[in-house]
Amino acid sequence: MRLARSFVALAIASALLAGVTALPAAGAEGQATWAVHISLAPTWFDPAETAGIITPFMVLYALHDALVKPMPGKPMTPSLAESWTQSKDGLVYEFVLRKNVRFHNGDVMTAEDVKFSFERYRGASATLLKSKVAKVEVVDPLRVRFTLKQAWPDFMAFYATPATGAAWIVPKKYVERVGDEGFKKAPVGAGPYKFVSFKPGVELTLEAFEQYWRKPPSVKTLVLRTIGDESTRLAALKRGEVDVAYSITGPLAEEVKRGQGLKLVPTYFTFTTWLVFPDQWDPKSPWHDRRVRQAANLAIDRAGINAAVYLGLSKLSFSFIPQGMDYFWAPPPSPFDPKRAKQLLTEAGYPNGFESGDLSGDTIYGVAIGEPVANYLQQVGIRLRLRPMERAAFFKEYGEKKLRGVIFSGSGAPGNAPTRLEQYAVTGGRYSYGAYPDIDGLYTEQVNEMNPRVRQQILTKIQQLVHEKAMFGPVIEPAFLNGVGPRLEVHGLGLIANHAYSAPYEDLRLTRP
Amino acid sequence: MKQYIAKRVGYAFISLIILSLIIFLLVRLTGDPTVLLVEPGASQADLDAMRKQFGLDQSLWVQYGHFVASLVRGDLGHSFYYRTPVLELYLSRLPSSLLLAGAAMVFSLVIGIPTGIVAAVRVNRWWDSAGKIFALLGLSLPSFWVGLLLILFFSVYLGWLPSSGSGTALHLLMPAFALGWYFAAAHMRLTRSSMLDVLGSEYVKLARLKGLPEALVISKHAFKNALIPVLTLAGINLVIMVNVAVVVETVFAWPGIGRLLYEGIAFRDFPVVQATVILNGAMVVIVSLLVDILYAVIDPRIRLAR
Repeated sequence: MRLARSFVALAIASALLAGVTALPAAGAEGQATWAVHISLAPTWFDPAETAGIITPFMVLYALHDALVKPMPGKPMTPSLAESWTQSKDGLVYEFVLRKNVRFHNGDVMTAEDVKFSFERYRGASATLLKSKVAKVEVVDPLRVRFTLKQAWPDFMAFYATPATGAAWIVPKKYVERVGDEGFKKAPVGAGPYKFVSFKPGVELTLEAFEQYWRKPPSVKTLVLRTIGDESTRLAALKRGEVDVAYSITGPLAEEVKRGQGLKLVPTYFTFTTWLVFPDQWDPKSPWHDRRVRQAANLAIDRAGINAAVYLGLSKLSFSFIPQGMDYFWAPPPSPFDPKRAKQLLTEAGYPNGFESGDLSGDTIYGVAIGEPVANYLQQVGIRLRLRPMERAAFFKEYGEKKLRGVIFSGSGAPGNAPTRLEQYAVTGGRYSYGAYPDIDGLYTEQVNEMNPRVRQQILTKIQQLVHEKAMFGPVIEPAFLNGVGPRLEVHGLGLIANHAYSAPYEDLRLTRP
Repeated sequence: MKQYIAKRVGYAFISLIILSLIIFLLVRLTGDPTVLLVEPGASQADLDAMRKQFGLDQSLWVQYGHFVASLVRGDLGHSFYYRTPVLELYLSRLPSSLLLAGAAMVFSLVIGIPTGIVAAVRVNRWWDSAGKIFALLGLSLPSFWVGLLLILFFSVYLGWLPSSGSGTALHLLMPAFALGWYFAAAHMRLTRSSMLDVLGSEYVKLARLKGLPEALVISKHAFKNALIPVLTLAGINLVIMVNVAVVVETVFAWPGIGRLLYEGIAFRDFPVVQATVILNGAMVVIVSLLVDILYAVIDPRIRLAR
């Protein structure tokens, strides 16, 4: 009995001690903190290593700046370049640099830095980009000229968007002095925030750079903190330990909506999901019949999936090309019409439906969206077995063209409509299971077409053909859902089109500085 | 004795070589890491360039040769994801892991040993039943679930403790509890059974017959002897804690080796997985080796028998 009393006393004492020493929940003065869903990597500090994913731009927008980059209201906004011109033959691009732009170490940015940054770029599409450029010349300290080997209409689409990090400028002298490894340990850029400290995979701290050319940032300190578990991110947001929690989904997103002072903010990037019918080129397969593919498109209740999984905040998709990409053509929406779907299946000779094998997808979207899709298809008679695969294994088999039945596909790769078509819809594409000669022909035609109007017409025609053939079964463009706390008056989410994260950082504002 | 030690060291060395080969081959069975480091839809040229950069375009045996040669030089490679030396990453996380394991161990011993003793002394009574329930829950409840409940209760509802991260003693409490509960239960069970064995032994009976006070019999004669297997297990458990904290470190965003391993697996970061498994394996092998040697020093029958 005495022992029991001791335990109770100990428990009470512990509780009191914890109460007395409880941490203040609110964030520090002048500081905004993000709970980041993915591990922060030092490779993101160096634009030269940008890997063709949107995530590193979460850091690049703070530490660095680009000649031209997407900004609010404009996908290609002159930043470190004041302006640029393109020669009539499409071979020469000349950039005029902004005067007196300084890096965080005080060095003045010049054309040499631009040339150097381009030449050392080794990230996504580096081979392609460099294979198109004949030379980069420093005309004078504030003018740099790119000469292409032949006219390439996508030069700016690759150079000045998140498709690559080649236009993000690093200080030549500093990089040469500290080396690539040294640069990642103490990065210096021309962005609105300068590097303070970093624990790999744990936390990045940045401080406002008062001399930033656009304007001095209002928030003094930025902290990006990796919190891998979604529930823990939400707990940190609710407690006020962080101001923004990235990637909150499903029931937890509902919780954010209900939370006092919390906001659920969706963002969108060039990410969409769609069904691939790899057997459509096999005359023996039911999928060879266009009516079957059209039936599959009519059988999916996209709005229902959106409401159930994304609280209605995603965009319904009727094309496998994201709505935010250049040269996108909006097809007419496919209504949810299971009756018509069944009718089409009957007309195609499948009144009782058919067994279609696997619906293969990854374990994230392939399950979250793939499972309801499989159920909807089942309801009209297209019987599929959901086959969630580990992500790397899925993409390996997908790329090696080993999957059959139906594939649940998705991509967030930056670029434009032609780059998306190239990978999925034309002969030789990494994920193309087949192609159509008319689409292939038009694709080849647009590759060197310098007239944007004519190119738009060709690309529209291609997308119309993709739609008419019901080549794919687009589902939705998933929203990236984020929780925002009460301390951030301007959180920066959604300000820049097709950018998933808070930016531009210099525009952020705390409710109480 | 020297021969015995040399033999054990040899076994330990062979174990590590086999471990390095197994982990090298196993991680490569899991798939191509480059597809996880770019967006699906990236061009083949980008994937090929990345494979070349990481040396994945070479044959498996050439890769293994490079791996072993680097290992001999003490170079554990560069992380594919972080693009920094793996050893640097590992060493930066090791102190946090040791701190968490140490705190969890203290918690598990402080809770496990007294409850084990009480359960043994009050066998088949209320305290024993309570101890059994505690052990059952500790051994059966998944640590991620315990962790989330702790966060919900102590961070969100009560607001007493920070939900995640590291830096203060308060950050340590919940992860140490979540990690330590399982081990507290294990220590409690072993203490109880060990105490029951000792309490039934002839010398304890003799001590009681001599009329020694029960408290003295338990604390001086029984407890000291019962403690030996518990402390032996605790020593090995400390190393195991460093290795199994993956889930707890992920839930609490604790910057330890477990989280590093989790990230390594998630991103197919072969060098990180290889290095973490080998170094953690080395830790287990070294501790086992020390235990073997200590046993041989204490008990000559062991070294003579082998």
